[in-house]
Amino acid sequence: MNRREALRQTALAAGAAALWASLPARTWAALAAPADWSGADEAMLTLIGDTIIPATATSPGAGSVAVGRFIITQATDGYPLQSIDTLRRALREIDAASRQRFSQPFPALGVAEREQVLTAYEAAPQSGAHPFRLIKELTLLGYFTSELGATQALRYDPIPGAYHGSVKLAPSDRSWAL
Amino acid sequence: MANHPTTPGAREHTFDAIVIGSGISGGWAAKELCEAGLRTLVLERGRDVKHRDDYPTALKNPWDFPHRNKTPRAVATANPIAKKCYAFDEATAHFFVKDDEHPYVQDRPFDWIRGYQVGGKSLIWARQTQRWSRFDFEGPARDGFGEWPITYDELAPWYSHVERFAGISGNYDGLETLPDGEFLPAWEMNDVEKHAQGKIMAAFPGRHVIQGRCAHLTAPQPQHLAQNRGQCQARNLCYRGCPFGAYFSSNSSTLPAAATTGRLTLRPHSVVESILHDPVTGRARGVRVIDAITKQAAEFFARVIFANASCLNTNLLLLNSTSARFPAGLGNDHGLLGRYVAFHNYRGSLSASIEGFEDSYYSGRRPTQLMMPNFRNVRKQETDFQRGYMVFFGAARAGWQLGNSTPGVGAAYKDQITSPGPWGISMMMQGETVPRKENHVRLSPDRKDAWGIPQLVTSIGYHDNDEKLMRDFLERGREMLEAVGAKKITARDSKQNPGLDIHEMGGVRMGRDPNTSLLNRWNQLHACTNVFATDGACMTSTGTQNPSLTFMALTARAAQHAVAELKKGNL
Repeated sequence: MNRREALRQTALAAGAAALWASLPARTWAALAAPADWSGADEAMLTLIGDTIIPATATSPGAGSVAVGRFIITQATDGYPLQSIDTLRRALREIDAASRQRFSQPFPALGVAEREQVLTAYEAAPQSGAHPFRLIKELTLLGYFTSELGATQALRYDPIPGAYHGSVKLAPSDRSWAL
Repeated sequence: MANHPTTPGAREHTFDAIVIGSGISGGWAAKELCEAGLRTLVLERGRDVKHRDDYPTALKNPWDFPHRNKTPRAVATANPIAKKCYAFDEATAHFFVKDDEHPYVQDRPFDWIRGYQVGGKSLIWARQTQRWSRFDFEGPARDGFGEWPITYDELAPWYSHVERFAGISGNYDGLETLPDGEFLPAWEMNDVEKHAQGKIMAAFPGRHVIQGRCAHLTAPQPQHLAQNRGQCQARNLCYRGCPFGAYFSSNSSTLPAAATTGRLTLRPHSVVESILHDPVTGRARGVRVIDAITKQAAEFFARVIFANASCLNTNLLLLNSTSARFPAGLGNDHGLLGRYVAFHNYRGSLSASIEGFEDSYYSGRRPTQLMMPNFRNVRKQETDFQRGYMVFFGAARAGWQLGNSTPGVGAAYKDQITSPGPWGISMMMQGETVPRKENHVRLSPDRKDAWGIPQLVTSIGYHDNDEKLMRDFLERGREMLEAVGAKKITARDSKQNPGLDIHEMGGVRMGRDPNTSLLNRWNQLHACTNVFATDGACMTSTGTQNPSLTFMALTARAAQHAVAELKKGNL
């Protein structure tokens, strides 16, 4: 039985056709809109995420998977309770840094300015855990487990079929998503 | 069977054999007994899980999980014990017992991980399968803490029997400390693992680095295809249930084989409260079952009863099977039932980085790791601690997660963190613990579960020997990683509770002497010979191997003995 035939049989056996047809949308926009969060705050988180992981020639950025909604949902449902306060504090501090440096709110900045603000914010010492670490962690998690991030920025192979222990890596080869 | 002819409905409730539990050993009992011609009732306390049909997450992608497969806080808070298990997540939680539904009492901290469904934990096991060696069977007597009533040579043909059917991959390594079995082709090592293997074996004669052995079909044989099981696809999403049937589980393998005979009756939602003792015959006549949903009681009868409820639940069941003859639990004439429980010591681990090998990568996800069979105190006592440990290890390149600790934002950062990162190498231990009388389980005198059955009290802890053994592993592990050329070596003691290894064993131990053991060399209760216990409860010691393969072999051997004894009229 070759791999294609194995896949076909399994798909039939497991009702996978129905499963695959019922997939949620390709982005986290399919998640319910978070309560207690303004659209502006969600948009700013998405913008920060898109600055961390921007669109490049080969793959879209974190903004295109609605990463702000994922960050809020994941922090609310799965992270320690103080994570919400940490996120709000980071938004305030990033916006303040933006106004101080460029006299404009963060969302009004161009890409280069946004990168400068975030790079400086990440490097600035903080007492305790750095809030940017949480935003970055959730951005990476949301992006690389989204369909676009996993399949375009990384290589996604749900059914490899075999394990090969020695594969020559070309400079353009991306990491496996799983 | 003549002892209940007037019981209403007795005929429908009477079988040749009853198997309590449908997990890895219960499935084998069912298969062997059915194939030998016995009409067999399998009682499972949980719901039915049909192979393929009831694996709802098996083909899901990461983005199909709302919390990207992390456990939401509400679920984690409600399951403070189950959530500690490495295999418990958004994709697998439905195969784990919910803590609040099945309470137990921790005299000392013990993480009891359970899977109550048809197939039991065979759906969510780690699938690593190694034979014990003669050193493991002979060790307890040599070291003066117990005595196995069987030898490796007696069990070897039964290892072969279960390996051929289950499908075990591995290399023929020719090691006396880890005997070869009936193997399907082994998995490959990656380049860094081959490098580590060469360096370690050159620097430390007697420490063998071999590929792991696991219950995955790397090349299905006719007997596997006949089970409708196919080749492992290297997905490594096994804990969700395998739609290919590529790893061994009761659901994919033994229960369908038992059903094919036409002699299997599988009854889910059946909580066995006790085994019924007949004072006239001196044997068990059946079991009392509480329906998990309606909570109504019913009795079932058979000539042979196999207890395969999982280690601690088999202890609980026997302790709760009281009668005029056995007021302290079935077969418990000496108060040893529930005692000498042991487990595996998983506390120590090491991790390190490996420089170089930048143009080498791998593809696919391998369901096993490299192993080093125990090399401590094998032929004689050599250290200041008893027994030894197996080492598991593996090497891999960092994935996108390295971005969490990489400073920066923007396109260059994205490029950096989507390229395979540096190589890391990690080691973990699987240490033998010595069964001790004080490590025990008992019934709570006042607390009951939702089915009116006494809750189990666990009183199981570490011993100074376990600390010494772990420190030795951390030292030997460090010296081996240094020999490999690894950098940034960090050693860790997880201090995890006993139980989280999910290798609890003993409490109904086998032995030659009825005064010091519960089960004889055929896994029959010395004092009630038509009751067999062949799950982890029967283990006299723990070895350093993953135990399930040994449970399977002991079960098949005991089932054959039960059938032979029935034919002789001895049961």
